[in-house]
Amino acid sequence: MEYLTIADALEALRENKTTATELLQSAHAVADELDSELGIYLSRFDEQAMAAAAEADRIYAAGEPAGPLLGIPLGIKDIISTVEGETTAQSLVLDRAWGEGIGDAVVTARLRAAGGLITGKLTTMEYATGVPDPTKPFPVPRNPWNTEYWTGGSSSGTGNGVATGAVLGGLGTDTGGSIRIPAAFCGISGIKATFGRVPKSGCVPLGYSLDNIGPMARSARDCAIMLNVLAGYDASDACAVDEPVDDYVAGLSGDLSGTRIGLDRLTGAWSERDPAIDAALDAVVEALTGLGATVVDVSLPLWSELSAATRITSRSEAFAYHAPDLQSRWSDYFAATRQGVGTAVAYSGADYVQAQRVRRVGQKAVAGLFETVDLVITPTSSVAGWTIDSLSTMAERFGAMHTGYWNAVGNPALVVPMGFNEIGLPLSVQIVGKPFDEVAVLRAGDAYQRVTDWHLAVPPVLSAAAVA
Amino acid sequence: MHSSDEKLEVALEMSGVNPAEEDLEKILDGFTRGLELAAQLYTVPGVRYEEPALIFSARVAGAR
Repeated sequence: MEYLTIADALEALRENKTTATELLQSAHAVADELDSELGIYLSRFDEQAMAAAAEADRIYAAGEPAGPLLGIPLGIKDIISTVEGETTAQSLVLDRAWGEGIGDAVVTARLRAAGGLITGKLTTMEYATGVPDPTKPFPVPRNPWNTEYWTGGSSSGTGNGVATGAVLGGLGTDTGGSIRIPAAFCGISGIKATFGRVPKSGCVPLGYSLDNIGPMARSARDCAIMLNVLAGYDASDACAVDEPVDDYVAGLSGDLSGTRIGLDRLTGAWSERDPAIDAALDAVVEALTGLGATVVDVSLPLWSELSAATRITSRSEAFAYHAPDLQSRWSDYFAATRQGVGTAVAYSGADYVQAQRVRRVGQKAVAGLFETVDLVITPTSSVAGWTIDSLSTMAERFGAMHTGYWNAVGNPALVVPMGFNEIGLPLSVQIVGKPFDEVAVLRAGDAYQRVTDWHLAVPPVLSAAAVA
Repeated sequence: MHSSDEKLEVALEMSGVNPAEEDLEKILDGFTRGLELAAQLYTVPGVRYEEPALIFSARVAGAR
C-alpha cells in the first residue's frame, strides 16, 4: 500500500510518478481494509473525490498551474462543514440543518481551492469533547498502534486516518489539545497555530475563545504545507487575526543554529508518567543540540493556574452552547459529554471573567519567558495512552495531557513523534513558540525529523493489512 | 457551610439541567474539582487589577 507524506506525494505527482487517482485509490483501499476496525470515517465522499482526482490529473497532464495541495487526499473532522455531506459532530443532538446552511467552512474551501481531494468526514469525540460512548450509534476510534488503545481525542479519525494512510493529511480542532493529543497517541504530527491564525467559522464550537482548527499529517513539513493554505484572516470569524502570514514551507531551513530552546520536563504535572518519556526527551535534546540549538531547563509559569483557566473557560463556553439541549435531551448526549459539560454549573459568571484575567496574567508571564528562549519543548503527554475499556471521563485524564496550558495563552504548539514506549505506543514532544512564530516552531519540528524517522514508522495494523 | 452535593443540587436547579441518576456521581466529582479550580483563580499573583482577555468589537463579524 502507498504510504507517502504529503511532500513526497506532491513530488511524485509533479514528476509524473503517480497520479491523484492512484493516490486516492490507495487511500480508499486502506480505509476499505481498516475502517471497520479502527473507526476512521463517519462518511465518505468517494464519488466526489474521484471526480476531483480526475480533474487534478488533467491539470497535471496539461501542465496547468497546480494548487499547493493538488491531488492530495485529505479528511475533515466531522465538526467542520463541507458541501458534500452533513456535519454530525458525532452526535445525535446536533441539528443537521446547521451544516447544510453553511456549505464549506472557510478552511474546507481553502483546502479545496488548493486542489485537495476532500475524502470525507472523520470521527471525533462528540462535539469535540469527552471519550467514546459505545452505547451510541457511532464508531469507536481505535489506535492503529494497538487497537485495544484509544486514539486520543477529539480529532480521533484524523489521527488514525493519517497514521494509516487512509488520508495523507486532515483537519483537526484543538480547544485543550484535540489536535495534539490524537497526533501524539497515533504517532503523527499536528499543529495548533496561534489563536486566530486560522479562521474557525463553519466549525461547531466547543470553547469560543480557545478553539483552533489546524493540520494533522505525518510530518512537520506536511503541516507547514497545509498551514500555508489554511492560515490567514477571514472576516467571518470574529476571532480571526488580520496579520500577515509567513511562508511556512520556505522557513524550513533545517538549521537551528542560534536557536534557544527551553525544556520543561513537567515531571510533577501528573501522577502517572510513562518511564520511557525521559530517555526519549534526552534524545530529543541531543538531536536539537546537534542541529545547532542551545537547550536549557525552564519552568513554565502558572502551570496549574493556566490549565485551570482553560478548563473553566472551555466548560463555561461549552455549557452556554449546550444548555438548551442538556435541559431537553440529556440522555441523547454521550455520557462523558453530558457529565463533563454538566460540571460547568460549578462556575459563576465571575469565575469565567476571572479565568480571562488569569489568562492575561499568564500571557505576560509566558511572554517574559520567551524573552529568554525562542522555543519551549515539553512532553505532549505524561502517558502514551489508555485502553478504551479503561476510559471513563476526560476529567480524570485531563492532567496527563500537557496541552491545555497553551490554549489559555494562545501560543502556537506543534507535536511530533519522539519514539515509542515499552509496549510500542508512540511518544510525542511538543514544540511551542512565540505568538505568530509558527515558522520557528515548524522549522524546529522539520529539522528534528530530518535527523530522526519516528514520524515515518508504520503501525502494525497497517503492516498486517498489507500482508493480508 | 453547605456540602458539595447540596451546592450541586442548587446549581443544577438554577441551570435547569436535570441529569440522569447514573450521571450524578461523576458530575459531583467534576463539580467538586471545579470549585477548587475556580477558587485557585483568585489567588494568582497580579490578577487583582488585571483586565480580562475579553475583547468586544462594535463591528459585526463579516460585515463591512
